[in-house]
Amino acid sequence: MPKCTINGKEIEVKEGTTIIEAMYGSGEQKGEWPAGKVAHYCWHPGLSVAGVCRLCMVQIEGNPRLQIACNTVVTEGMKINNTSDAVKDAAKWGLDFHLINHPLDCPICDQAGECGLQDQYMEFGKYNPEMAEKKVKKHKVVDLGPTVVLDSERCILCSRCVRFTEEVSKTNELGIFNRGDRSEIGTFDGKPLDNKYSMNTVDICPVGALTSKDFRFRQRVWYLKDSNTICNGCSTGCNVKVYFNREGFFRVKPVYNEQVNGYWMCDEGRDVYKFANRENRWLKAKKRTSAGWEEMQPGAAAKEAGMVAKSAGANAALVLTGQYTVEEYEAIISNFVNELKSKNVFHWMNMPEKAEDFDGLLLRGDKNPNTKGLLQILQKYGISTKWSDLTAGLASGTIKTVVVAGPEIQVQFPDMKDKIKELSKAQNLIWMQSGKNSDLEALTGNVWLIPMKSYVEKDGTFVNYAGLAQKFKKVTTVISEALTLAEAGDLLVGKMLAIKPEPNVFVEAVRPPDRVVVEHRKKNEFVYRRGTL
Amino acid sequence: MFQLSPEGLAAVKKELTRYESKDSAIIPALYIAQKENKGWVSDEVIHHLATVMDIPDARINEVFKFYTMFNQKPVGKFHVQVCTNISCALNGSRELAQHICKEMKIGYDQVTEDGRFTISKVECLGSCGTAPMMQVNDAYYENLTPESAMNILRGMK
Amino acid sequence: METKLLTEFYHLDEFRTLPGYQKQGGYEVLKKALKMQPQQIIDEVKASGLRGRGGAGFPTGMKWGFLPKNNEPRYLLCNADEGEPGTFKDRLMMERAPHQLIEGMIISGYAVGSQKGYIYVRGEYHYPISVLRKAVEEAYAAGLLGKNILGSGINFDLDVYSGAGAYICGEETGMISSLEGLKGQPKLKPPFPAVQGYLRKPTIVNNVETLAAVVPIIKDGAAAYRKFGTEKSAGTKLFSLSGNVVRPGNYEVPLAYPLKDLIYKLGGGMKPGRKLKAVIPGGSSAPVLTAEEAEKVNLDYESIAAAGSMLGSGAVIVIDDSQCMVDMLGVLTHFYHHESCGQCTPCREGTGWLNKIVHSILEGRGRLQDIELLIKVADNMKGRTICALSDAAALPVLSFVTKFRDEFEYFVREGHSKVRGVRNAEMHH
Repeated sequence: MPKCTINGKEIEVKEGTTIIEAMYGSGEQKGEWPAGKVAHYCWHPGLSVAGVCRLCMVQIEGNPRLQIACNTVVTEGMKINNTSDAVKDAAKWGLDFHLINHPLDCPICDQAGECGLQDQYMEFGKYNPEMAEKKVKKHKVVDLGPTVVLDSERCILCSRCVRFTEEVSKTNELGIFNRGDRSEIGTFDGKPLDNKYSMNTVDICPVGALTSKDFRFRQRVWYLKDSNTICNGCSTGCNVKVYFNREGFFRVKPVYNEQVNGYWMCDEGRDVYKFANRENRWLKAKKRTSAGWEEMQPGAAAKEAGMVAKSAGANAALVLTGQYTVEEYEAIISNFVNELKSKNVFHWMNMPEKAEDFDGLLLRGDKNPNTKGLLQILQKYGISTKWSDLTAGLASGTIKTVVVAGPEIQVQFPDMKDKIKELSKAQNLIWMQSGKNSDLEALTGNVWLIPMKSYVEKDGTFVNYAGLAQKFKKVTTVISEALTLAEAGDLLVGKMLAIKPEPNVFVEAVRPPDRVVVEHRKKNEFVYRRGTL
Repeated sequence: MFQLSPEGLAAVKKELTRYESKDSAIIPALYIAQKENKGWVSDEVIHHLATVMDIPDARINEVFKFYTMFNQKPVGKFHVQVCTNISCALNGSRELAQHICKEMKIGYDQVTEDGRFTISKVECLGSCGTAPMMQVNDAYYENLTPESAMNILRGMK
Repeated sequence: METKLLTEFYHLDEFRTLPGYQKQGGYEVLKKALKMQPQQIIDEVKASGLRGRGGAGFPTGMKWGFLPKNNEPRYLLCNADEGEPGTFKDRLMMERAPHQLIEGMIISGYAVGSQKGYIYVRGEYHYPISVLRKAVEEAYAAGLLGKNILGSGINFDLDVYSGAGAYICGEETGMISSLEGLKGQPKLKPPFPAVQGYLRKPTIVNNVETLAAVVPIIKDGAAAYRKFGTEKSAGTKLFSLSGNVVRPGNYEVPLAYPLKDLIYKLGGGMKPGRKLKAVIPGGSSAPVLTAEEAEKVNLDYESIAAAGSMLGSGAVIVIDDSQCMVDMLGVLTHFYHHESCGQCTPCREGTGWLNKIVHSILEGRGRLQDIELLIKVADNMKGRTICALSDAAALPVLSFVTKFRDEFEYFVREGHSKVRGVRNAEMHH
């Protein structure tokens, strides 16, 4: 474990660590972390070393030439310095070379506010540019594929995206064509950037060359707040960060987790924010009467439906999908078993034949974040029912009342229509879910439709395919009257809700260490006032 | 749709196993394909090679666009490449290139109407002792004067 | 006087055939070498003081010594990508004496323990490639290549690979990348090729002339080789003389030969009515010398380095007083801009920037601060990149602007060349 000194601070690192890994390392080393910071574009901890941006220059004692930090292995007793004037000058010129052909697109570029060039320029640039010649013109607004747009002029040719398609997604769609300053990123005709992980290239692109079609021109990043949570798209449970503001959620980005998803996430998970936004949600509960649909507050509807459920007692059935938290399952199942004395709890599994699918990287066939959690709770209460029991019960009439905790991500349930038809055979149907569904709204009979909270509005735990329990915190509240499954469970069995006054105040996520903080920015009048949602 | 001739295909297949790494066959394969496609390489050619060699299209395209000797546009039957680097420039090669263009009534990197000639300016060809000089397809023509150069070109069939 | 150590029989047409080569004692040195121990050969080459003849001038014996001393398979690559403007000596050697190169490679392969060699020739050299391929065939047929060479139990396979037009493939790791089937972009060093090179195996990359020089060194011994040249620059070298001289061509002379004699005696001096103005002593990447400096310097590594330039590939480009230095710099900046591989930012952007500034001046749009700007940009391109092309592009700019500043200032102020009185706008790319 060689020891080295970075800007005067001594740390000890693993054998074979490079200088830049020592600075930004994951804390496996002993000593203060992060141990320093150095400007870089082409280095990424999840990809191979390229050493092409030449920005991460550091001075090593005993070596007259500056070395790049991303390719130099730490040796015992190395003294590293990146605050001297020579290094600052090299970094400033390195940045200058990146900027001489860079177009002045900031006003229309999505990356503004989180752009590597902008950040570095504010950090140590701030010089008068001397380039007085014509800039190189390249292709703009190039359609790379179904998810990504390319702007070649903005590209600084760090080659992160090319290395990504080569090493991570292994689809080899991207390449750098031509020589010298005519070089351009691109795909080859007929083979677009079309793989299940394509949007990671947008994340790793330090500038606005690769932008997401989904997010393009929709929101300025300084109007967005962010918060960490778990993706609820499948049983892998990738750690993600969601971006949102008063208007709703805008996008999802991956967060590093060594055990679960590394640095990446899949494209399907990028869409999970859409199901939490207001336009896709039920805002009020609906009760079917002879006159049509009557709207009520969700709590009131649950109370009323609860009277029906209580009278059904042990013959009431509960259908659960694997999309709710462990705590919610515990609460509702314990209510059903202990209060209603019913053991008719059924697990609605979508696409069971694909449940064991795995594409080798992150995507799994079980499109529920918490199947294992649900199965654990079912086992705890000794419940081992089969769906055929429910079908039989409905047919014979023993089961008259069915309570359904429907899926949040309905697109992954291709059997939705069929299940709605089947379950609507029950005399009383109480369907609870967060997203609206037109088939449900067309039902007749004794139907209650109760809006649920989306998972981003709750604290909870998901258990992923490997049995790893991941806790996540509430991000924000979108529809405050909607119920969590636990609350609905209480109301359905006749209990009163324990109302806990909760301060609905946004808590700022920890500012990552390499985010530039410049004093005068805090007083920027265009920053949204932070407050309650 | 471009397809290699049986001989060309056999030659490419031979190259695939000739070197220690399969990818090393990309440059020889592009030469073979370029010859069969009238002196230039189009997108179709790249597609075909990618299928034949089982190498991703983007990789072959990268190598293709990197090197000067692979032509991205159609060229004339005789590709006249005049060196305009320093030793030749010191001996008037740029004026020679212009003279040829004027005589042929054509600009650089275009094809004459009869499809026979394309004039290009290239970098050092390693013949500085016999400057000014030009390369036409595979052959070097050295120690040129404007008259001798035109005589050589006019004599090309 | 030329010293024909390597080039003694180049005037004989048959020397390029196997029988013609053997008639002059060809492959006898191979027989001698195969009886020596590999380490003896390496020691002999080390003792001879042979330095890389491609441009870097790195001591060859020392480079061979960097290889790991184990049984790992290793490669011997001959760099015949002669792209440095002004250089045409390797072409002569390949066209006239392919077997000399092959013999040198077999001996070197045996010395470093390599069983596979490639000769990477630039794609434009169609004729030398065909000559080499034919010579390799002849050698295989005669049992000089392949398995069990001349019954010695030593194996060595050789193949000729054609490049496709990229100056950067003359850089050793650029050449390795190109040979591996990638774009010819140089690799990060460390690891150095001797440790991890072609296909991540130990690799030695040597220039054509270096490998051919192994033959006379083993034939007559290191001491005989050291009779030529100086302590630090031993042996003979082929110099490619070109530009504004009466008799351009390749001349083999001992190192430390006076540059003045090369130009005036062997090269025939200036054309009638012309005076010497500047000399680039080692290929376009070497800093230029004024006529005064050039007439005082000797052709060896130390002497030229002391004068502020480099011996490089030995391409001596002579510029007389009819030429405009701004114009010639424009030719060079265009070359480096065209040939930059584009991997690292200072070179990719810097070569383009330098080219644009010089051409602005040439088109009459120069500003006085452009001259300082050229120096600043070139200064900041040096020493910060993966390979030396960035330095190679910066050094001519720095030397031309510093030593011929009056021509640049005149052009900026007056809008046309001091020498030719015209803008030469159509001359430029």
